[in-house]
Amino acid sequence: MTRLRITGGAVHDPANGIDGEVRDICIENGRIVASLPAEAPVLRADGMVIMAGGIDIHAHIAATSVSLGRRLLPEEHSLDPVPAPALDDGSIPRSGTGGTVPSTFTTGYRYAGLGYTTVFDAAVAPVAARQTHAELDDTPIIDGGFFALLGNDEYLHRQIAAGETTRAKDYAAWILRSTGGYAIKVVNPGGVELWKRNVREVKTLDDPVGTSNVTPRRILEVLAGAANDLGLPHPVHIHCNNLGVAGNVAMTLDSMRALEGRRAHFTHLQFHSYGGERGKSWSSAARQVAEYVNAHPEVTGDVGQVMFGDATTLTADGAVEYLLHTSTGRKWINSDIELETGCGIVPYTYKDKAAVASLQWVVGLELFLLSSDPWRMVLSTDHPNGGSFMSYPDLIRLLMDRAYRDEKLKSVNQKMLAGSALADGLAREYTLNEIAIITRAGPARQLGLEAKGHLGVGADADITIYSRDADYAKMFSTPRYVLKSGTLVVEEGQLRRAPAGKRIFVRPGFDDALLRDLGKYFEAYSSIRLANYPVTGLRGAPVPTGGA
Amino acid sequence: MSDATRIEENVTCLGCGCACDDIAVVIAGARIREARNACALGVRWFGDGSLPGAIGGGRSAAIEDVLREIATLLRSARAPLVFLAPDLTCEAQGAAIAIADQLHAFVDGVTSSTAADGILAAQRRGRASSTLGEIRNRADVVVFWAVDPSVSYPRFQSRYAPNPAGAHLPRGRRDRTVIAVDVGAQRGPEDADVRIQMTPEEEQLFLASLRASLAGRTLGSSSIVARVSELATRLGKARYAAVVIDAESPPAVASGRADSLIALTQSLNATTRCALCTLRAGGNRNGADTVLTWQTGFPMAVDFSRGAPRYEPENAAVARLTHGAVDAVLFVGNTNEIPRAVRDALGSVRIVVIGPRASESTLSAQIRIDTGVAGIHESGMALRLDDIPLPVRAVLPTPRDTASLLEALGAAIAAQAGAA
Repeated sequence: MTRLRITGGAVHDPANGIDGEVRDICIENGRIVASLPAEAPVLRADGMVIMAGGIDIHAHIAATSVSLGRRLLPEEHSLDPVPAPALDDGSIPRSGTGGTVPSTFTTGYRYAGLGYTTVFDAAVAPVAARQTHAELDDTPIIDGGFFALLGNDEYLHRQIAAGETTRAKDYAAWILRSTGGYAIKVVNPGGVELWKRNVREVKTLDDPVGTSNVTPRRILEVLAGAANDLGLPHPVHIHCNNLGVAGNVAMTLDSMRALEGRRAHFTHLQFHSYGGERGKSWSSAARQVAEYVNAHPEVTGDVGQVMFGDATTLTADGAVEYLLHTSTGRKWINSDIELETGCGIVPYTYKDKAAVASLQWVVGLELFLLSSDPWRMVLSTDHPNGGSFMSYPDLIRLLMDRAYRDEKLKSVNQKMLAGSALADGLAREYTLNEIAIITRAGPARQLGLEAKGHLGVGADADITIYSRDADYAKMFSTPRYVLKSGTLVVEEGQLRRAPAGKRIFVRPGFDDALLRDLGKYFEAYSSIRLANYPVTGLRGAPVPTGGA
Repeated sequence: MSDATRIEENVTCLGCGCACDDIAVVIAGARIREARNACALGVRWFGDGSLPGAIGGGRSAAIEDVLREIATLLRSARAPLVFLAPDLTCEAQGAAIAIADQLHAFVDGVTSSTAADGILAAQRRGRASSTLGEIRNRADVVVFWAVDPSVSYPRFQSRYAPNPAGAHLPRGRRDRTVIAVDVGAQRGPEDADVRIQMTPEEEQLFLASLRASLAGRTLGSSSIVARVSELATRLGKARYAAVVIDAESPPAVASGRADSLIALTQSLNATTRCALCTLRAGGNRNGADTVLTWQTGFPMAVDFSRGAPRYEPENAAVARLTHGAVDAVLFVGNTNEIPRAVRDALGSVRIVVIGPRASESTLSAQIRIDTGVAGIHESGMALRLDDIPLPVRAVLPTPRDTASLLEALGAAIAAQAGAA
């Protein structure tokens, strides 16, 4: 029986209404308990700050697309060799490489080193889910799950075209069940299929995708409905049409309005909050998006902040990556995947001397600073798209330290910033509790993870302890202690143990009648057998769903 | 009931990179009697499933002792090489790479001496590609560049393209145009609709001329330009073109084929859609590249000697062996399928083989442990030539599971390192 009492630290546990109060945290067998006998071992955290382990709701860390990205970047990896850590838990440590798309072991070690203990891969082609599980098996410490791509799936589109929304829902359930996924992901609804048909622009939510019965709007409605009817812990996770395009705020707000009143998550909103006009002008439209989200409690979002420096854009949104390739001249991967989805990858550098990158940086910060409810607008960089997860501490400093932010703002390209809220002056500084919300409590609530993101009795003992520092970037980049399921993985700032993480998945039910129809579809069009599609042998218990 | 016949359905074949997963394996008396749906190559790959189960060359017959001996041998080497031969699951490949990491060894596989050109070109340029299911359902123009899949990838045409009907090609073969590009003796399929021929010496200029033509320029003699413009016109008119090349069969005369075709297929996406499809041979070769990539960041030729991965594609296994820069090799997998260049470069280096038929390997190995073949005797994951992961399943028992054995070897190495 492993027990530990953490004592003397200021606890920031917003889910339980605790804001900096000094109190004990008691751990037994990997979970937080109400009390422990007096003789239980003690970890002194006097003067330190205690939060739940960080939760990344949207990153790209384990997927065929991620490994295609890794393969594309030998020069980056050569510049960042990472020797195996010295572990004292008897496990054999592994070396790796870093850069913006680190190798799997390094990904696990580095997330844990930042105090993050749960990460979701945001875009997995269902047909390749097996590889995601294999990569997560090689990503130590962190608990992991993923979102299954469904917005451009031929079988789904056929059901929508035929008005078979119940079967579409059953199919979504079958996909999650077969792949061991956690949530439904939509990327550029309909737009990836159109890219495969050489149609490169989605102008409105009502553009036809092959047939007028299938439109981005219908895809959003059907999948949002499916997620909610199935009672999935996380609603449909939406990457809107026209990512990265000037003037795309109209499409973003249309998408939100299309789902008004229904639970939905809109991801990396920074990339979807631009005013101006395609090919002509750019401006920030963060205020419009923040105002919509503020007024609609059914909507959640994450920011997708851009951080200056190297990034790798890596997405199921193949069409966008072609544009980025032609505009930057940098190398480019496209992979169209099995009538299901797509994939595009281009390395990218956000420069503070560049007008668009500076605007993107400002738009992201504005979304943070103008959102009134941090529970519903959480931190992400869409790693590695807007920047590596390793830049989170600097992002936290930008949010907590106005002087630092204003100083940085002066040094960026001002060309497109006229009239932006940040340029006009935003005084808000995030508090420690608000940081705890946007990096752990908020993502946990958005994801429906009841045992994570807080420090109440029954929670997983995923805990991060920081030494206070006036430089918040420093404070958040080197936690003093990190516990994962009650195991001390970081001690005195050093990684010491690397237990395997758990898998987080759902197993919703569906009507078996689906399989007859799906069998015919596979026979006609699939390059693999239906029987070989499902991933088997997942360990652990699924997160319960509320539906039938 | 050992004589009872049973049939295992939906078995994945790793006879080539097509990884057909519709094989029905008929088993009786612990032997494979038939591999239904398999091509001739697949039938040969499955064989009858019989395997030796020996442990040879060690001073003891007990597996724990032999693993300790291997650990000692590898740990005493100054510059060990871990070589990923074909017929391993991704799980076994991962366990072998872990041992290389532990030993600060060099790890490599068959790719660096066979299909490296295309991978290196893709690392410079990226690539526009698609999975086989997209080609099956979408590709209306299919170019076979210096490859006739019927020889080394016998079911490619019937399963993927051009023969099947697809979601966007209801009439199958009749909805597609097949273009054979013959480069000398490397000929495209016999029943192509269009045939374009060149000598190996012409290929480089042809490729340059083709790329120039798509950029609106003219390059080369009128004879070349005429052939180029026919191909360029057909590619430009395609709704979704697929260009198929064989990574295992490099050009007879250096032509920059992989690099040029990557650039060509990428640039076609300015006006239409186009994907490059690279054929790979069997035994889960893409798996080795991909597992190495996710574990180290590099797809082949990884040097752990400084304690972290370094990429050495210019100084890969064959070069190192040839220069005497390797003093012990752990081969994992089927050594009958290693490239000749590797075999020839081995010299008198100390060798350990862990894999199917290790005891019968023609390599002069000190220690040999027989294990099973991925997808016949061992279960796990393997990647198709387009990187789609598929389950592979044991239909017969393995003498001992490769991945588990390698994990035990890793533990033996760690124990010795800890005691030292």
